[in-house]
Amino acid sequence: MPTSPVKVRIPLTSFGHLITEVKKQLFGLEGPAAVKLTGLRKYFNSYTIQGRRNCVLATYSVIAVTAVAYFMHRQTKKEAQRDSTD
Amino acid sequence: MTLSLFDQFASPALLGIPLIAIALTFPWILLPSSTSRWLDNRLSTLQSWFLVRFTHQLLQPLNFGGHKWALVLTSLMVYIITLNLLGLLPYTFTPTTQLAMNLGLAVPLWLATVVLGLRNNPTNALGHLLPHATPTVLIPALIIIETISLFIRPLALGVRLTANLTAGHLLMQLIATAVFVLTSLMPPVAMITSVVLLLLTLLEMAVAMIQAYVFVLLLSLYLQENI
Repeated sequence: MPTSPVKVRIPLTSFGHLITEVKKQLFGLEGPAAVKLTGLRKYFNSYTIQGRRNCVLATYSVIAVTAVAYFMHRQTKKEAQRDSTD
Repeated sequence: MTLSLFDQFASPALLGIPLIAIALTFPWILLPSSTSRWLDNRLSTLQSWFLVRFTHQLLQPLNFGGHKWALVLTSLMVYIITLNLLGLLPYTFTPTTQLAMNLGLAVPLWLATVVLGLRNNPTNALGHLLPHATPTVLIPALIIIETISLFIRPLALGVRLTANLTAGHLLMQLIATAVFVLTSLMPPVAMITSVVLLLLTLLEMAVAMIQAYVFVLLLSLYLQENI
């Protein structure tokens, strides 16, 4: 019976981890060493744990700012509509 | 009084007095507790052996900090497995068919693992939301997908247990009704259906034990990521 080329036990709790582990083991994908990353990539990358954390925080911040701006704009529009009808 | 298929899942009551408290505490009365004797009886020894083996197997992938969860996880496993197996007895109410109960077990325990991870090791806990070596273009999308999958975990835990047990009980009731009706009409068919019912009951016993194990195993996996 053909055996899987994937050697290490892959956690089944995340689809992303599954893809990453299969890629690593089948294609030998290696990330760049942390010293080689410069500029913005040094802080926002998907290779170091700090980089991944910063990407997550940046994404959440963008979503939060967008949501706040949208609700404030909606409130301003409602007030403008109320003023124009008065 | 004509019973429908779903009356077996109604909360039990006797003359208006709810019996749910008895249904929930019954496993505690049934299971033997350890004594101060040097050598216990066969049942207590067997129970201790099983608990030690199970705890060892469950906590093996966890680091030392996760070993504090041994009591919670092992007692949860014993509780769910006892409730599930007792529910296979005829005319017995199964508390784990209630979504409220399973979500009540799943949500606080999952939340505890997430809060522990964010409190003790926030970098790792947040970093897990983005898989390693993700292409830059896919980073925002994968973060959103992983966040959604994180919040779906407790729902999946609770609904998995509820759905498996409810479906099993319904199937057993349907096939038992078919056997009962067919016995007078077509006895040979009723015999075959009763063999199917027997096999289904054996399957449900396995499902009862496996679902309890899966519930606790997944919780330990979530803990493993965060501790």
